[in-house]
Amino acid sequence: MIKFKNVNKTFKSGRSHTVDALKDIDLSIKEGSVVVLKGASGSGKSSILSLISAISKPTSGEVIVDDKQISKLSDKFSSEYRLNNIGIVFQKYNLVEDITVEQNVILPLIPKNLDSHVVEEKVESVLDMFGIKEYKNSPVKNLSGGEQQRVAIARAYINTPKIIIADEPTANLDEKLSLDFIKIIKDLKGENKTIIIATHDPLFFDLDFVDEYIELKDGCVV
Amino acid sequence: MNRYINLYLLEYSINALLRQKYKNIFITTILTFLIFLLSSMFFITSSIKKELQLSVDSLPEITVQKLISGKHYDIEVKRVDKILQITGVNDAVARVWGYYFFANAGVNFTLVGIEQFEGQYKDSFQSLVDGSEGFDDTKAYIGQGVREIMSRNYYKEYFNFILPDGSFKKIDIGGVFKADTNLESNDVIILSKDNMRSIYGMNEDHATDIVVKVSNHDEIETVAAKIKLLYPDARVITKNDLKVSYENIFDYKSGMFLALFIVSLFTFFIIVYDKASGLSSSERKEIGVLKAIGWSLDDVLKEKFYEGALISVFSYLVGIFMALAFVYIFQAPLLRDIFSGYSELKTAFELPFVFDIQMMVLVFFLSVPIYIAAIIIPSWRAATMDADEVMR
Repeated sequence: MIKFKNVNKTFKSGRSHTVDALKDIDLSIKEGSVVVLKGASGSGKSSILSLISAISKPTSGEVIVDDKQISKLSDKFSSEYRLNNIGIVFQKYNLVEDITVEQNVILPLIPKNLDSHVVEEKVESVLDMFGIKEYKNSPVKNLSGGEQQRVAIARAYINTPKIIIADEPTANLDEKLSLDFIKIIKDLKGENKTIIIATHDPLFFDLDFVDEYIELKDGCVV
Repeated sequence: MNRYINLYLLEYSINALLRQKYKNIFITTILTFLIFLLSSMFFITSSIKKELQLSVDSLPEITVQKLISGKHYDIEVKRVDKILQITGVNDAVARVWGYYFFANAGVNFTLVGIEQFEGQYKDSFQSLVDGSEGFDDTKAYIGQGVREIMSRNYYKEYFNFILPDGSFKKIDIGGVFKADTNLESNDVIILSKDNMRSIYGMNEDHATDIVVKVSNHDEIETVAAKIKLLYPDARVITKNDLKVSYENIFDYKSGMFLALFIVSLFTFFIIVYDKASGLSSSERKEIGVLKAIGWSLDDVLKEKFYEGALISVFSYLVGIFMALAFVYIFQAPLLRDIFSGYSELKTAFELPFVFDIQMMVLVFFLSVPIYIAAIIIPSWRAATMDADEVMR
């Protein structure tokens, strides 16, 4: 269960100017549900994802995940929390372009310092699952946008996180590839993952497997 | 299972270096060259220091020269008897020696005259006299450097010395003379005192100078003062005076090396400053992504440590090995001339191998940790900020 209690997030813009990205947000997301955050650019979708993944901290209020107040975690524990609980699919994938698909996918495993045979098993299974096994040794820069996104999903999934968050995942994809992504999300829901997607892509707005739509406007839940 | 070295992290670091391979090859080359230059300078310094120390150890305790109006003249041999009567003097020997310019090769040889049945003022001369083949006073015994130069000029069996009247004196070469240090023996030719006197046109009752042995080292200055009182026209030089003179020449050369050293350090710190002054936006973004996918600050710093260590330790090892080969196998061409080239006419000598662990540790601490710090500090700054930027 993810809970936001009266969360505010303010960014500094310039020396004296501030921007209120989130205002008095209260929300709760059930475990195993698929939630779509809707709203225009700058409405606060990405800020909510940042707070859930403990990448940033709220200016005030509480973010609670599985009864833990993650907004108060130190840098070390918030990294550990992300490593074990969160998989992130970024809008621009944020892959390391000059290294191979395999090397990108194992990045979240590196801090765990696992035995090579464990890493190999996990990589094989994830590459197979997302249909990119044939590109295992290819540099990421040689792949198409859709293939790169599958690599990004494989990287987000390899630590078998409880929560997968995706920030504008189809912003750089055509309709066919976007529908492929939606199918992957549907399959992941079957594994009881909590999936939170921030998007303004209309393809997501009428999906039968989505449990909740949260619309944001100017940092507030509408 | 946790292993001490995270091989996947190491692989990532290697890949990170390869992603900017031309930049990193350039940095590694510069760093290697600087370490090579610094180590070479230190190796040469250590070798020369050792040579000088051994040379100083073999110097006579007191040397007495005759001066007339400040100019050095041959000294009367009979003064030896008077000096021997001074309390504290253990031995006194009149030396006949000098320089001989060999025009064909453009070098100066050091000629030393000895007598077979006289007490020798250097152990190396005594070894020559006591050697299995003995000392033949009709022959010349030459240092290794002299032998090479003479051979190149077709003097393999004998050498023709030019006498003051312009005639030649042919002297057979009896063998190669070796001393404890190359500096001491390399340019030396040992002859009998009679041969020496005929080469220099010197009277039989004169010598170049007189060397005095003193049993108690604490009495050297007192004995020197007594000799000066006895012979006011004499210049009395103690071992300590010569040591200071040698050290002055050495310090002058060290000054040039110091200048090179400062230039090297300056270049190195420019690289370090460039590294430490900040990361590119793509490097900052990469750190942000790594943190977002679960890497801790420790993981990021460890990865950067590997990057810095790979470059700096590699440069250090290659630089040190190159310097060892350059100095001790190739005898430091160009650089060694800064030290030994003060006399163009001086014959060559070999730099003795000195394994100076302190110097290696010094070069290590001047290069590796500084470079690693220059890599880690900006990454630490970036990694401690919110990784929030990658979500926008």
